[in-house]
Amino acid sequence: MTAGGKPISINGLAKTFTTEAGETVEALTPVTLEVAAGEFVSIVGPSGCGKSTLLSILGGLLEPTAGEARVLGEPILGPDIDRGMVFQSYALFPWRNVLGNVEFGLERKGLPRKERRTIALDYLRSVGLQDFATKQIHELSGGMKQRVAIARAFATTPSTILMDEPFGALDALTRRTLQKQLLGIWQEHKKTVVFITHSVPEAITLSDRVVVMTARPGAVKSIIRIDLAHPRDSTSAEFRELERTIYADLDAELAKSIAEEGRTPVVQKT
Amino acid sequence: MSRLGSGLGRLLPFLYAFAAILAAWLFVLGVFRPHVSLLPPPALVAREFWALAVTGELFKHIWASLSRVFSAWCLAGLIAIPLGLAMGRIPRFERIVDPLVELIRPISPLAWIPLAILWFGIGEFGKVFVVLVGTFFPTLISTVAGVKRIDPVLIQAGQVLGCTDRASLFRKVVLPAALPNIITGLRISFGTGWAAIIAAELVAARSGLGYLISNGMEILRADKVLVGMAVIGILGVIFDSIFRFIQKKISWGAA
Repeated sequence: MTAGGKPISINGLAKTFTTEAGETVEALTPVTLEVAAGEFVSIVGPSGCGKSTLLSILGGLLEPTAGEARVLGEPILGPDIDRGMVFQSYALFPWRNVLGNVEFGLERKGLPRKERRTIALDYLRSVGLQDFATKQIHELSGGMKQRVAIARAFATTPSTILMDEPFGALDALTRRTLQKQLLGIWQEHKKTVVFITHSVPEAITLSDRVVVMTARPGAVKSIIRIDLAHPRDSTSAEFRELERTIYADLDAELAKSIAEEGRTPVVQKT
Repeated sequence: MSRLGSGLGRLLPFLYAFAAILAAWLFVLGVFRPHVSLLPPPALVAREFWALAVTGELFKHIWASLSRVFSAWCLAGLIAIPLGLAMGRIPRFERIVDPLVELIRPISPLAWIPLAILWFGIGEFGKVFVVLVGTFFPTLISTVAGVKRIDPVLIQAGQVLGCTDRASLFRKVVLPAALPNIITGLRISFGTGWAAIIAAELVAARSGLGYLISNGMEILRADKVLVGMAVIGILGVIFDSIFRFIQKKISWGAA
């Protein structure tokens, strides 16, 4: 019934911003990356390395300065219901209840009321919130809100789900639960997922591949394949070894970004 | 039981205020012994209230004031809400309109009364015009703020969920997101309109609560003045509570 994921091809994608002072800031230097259909790819990198910029471009919310991104060969020209997004701040519509939020995209697709309801309840069930369908958004905890947002993103059966630090604001235990649910729903529906996170263990737990980005301006530093069977044991030696590899790459970039931050005062002193 | 309790709890501050006013009133009467045409005793005012109520004169004045405020307030909303939505969404449009708004806004609606009389005479429209000025700006400012304060991530969420054209994004996301602020603007502007109509009626009217007050002054009947003032206050509170109730229903538990 549901169409699976589509491959994403990112080719020389770059973005520069112009600040109000007229300076140009390079957020993303040419990034080239292939994501296979149905693949789960995580992106980690220092703060301000352009991860979110990259995701916004893939979502069609931001235009690249150079290069292009294609989904199954089709260039990304703007936002499209075929590419769902999940935001760190949940971005639920507070004037709609839980069910209304999940139905939002289904309404846009023109599905009849009955069908919308069935589908929305189905996806709420897969995140364990079927009994909360009629609750208002302000009645939910942060973890529940993000589960609604995940159900809302998957319910429209997009080919791709773009997730911008979705669990960044949640406590460690809620995070674990949501990671499991996300894995379950992803394995069931085989969507292509691009997932931004600051947590290396989270990236290893979830992904087929982890992309490490360089300090600003962001570029791909390394790509690490995670060949572990699910569910992954974060205490296993293989897991630990992958963590070590990724942290090594990341630490080099973190040092650079700290040096970058410290540079201006040093110049002023001399 | 608890509902009755909370209802009583909300009424209690007003009972207290009522008692305080009455105490101050009696104090002034006892100490200064003013002439009855300057400050009549509460009982006399109550009797006048009753007299104006049974003859229906009071309700005629209330209706006159209310219908003016209501029509001006609706008219202001019909213009200010679409204008505010456009200003909030289109920065270039806002840059053109905003200086004009900022220049006219500080001018009290009362300052428009002389012009309103010159232009429209003492007919109905002159007073509606003054209230229109008084209700327009609060509604406009709240609407603009309501649109601008929408979390950009809600707009993005709407876009990736299929609202890819401006019209559907506006209808499905911008409008509902801005609605609580628009309602706030309507509530505030009803209050400013209620104040403005009394002032306009003081100057140029043959009916309305403002007229009741100014007429009472001219014929040295402070009891009529006080009845008018009391009714203005009580109606103001009633309408504000109605709006607060609507606001609570519509602000998704956020307020």
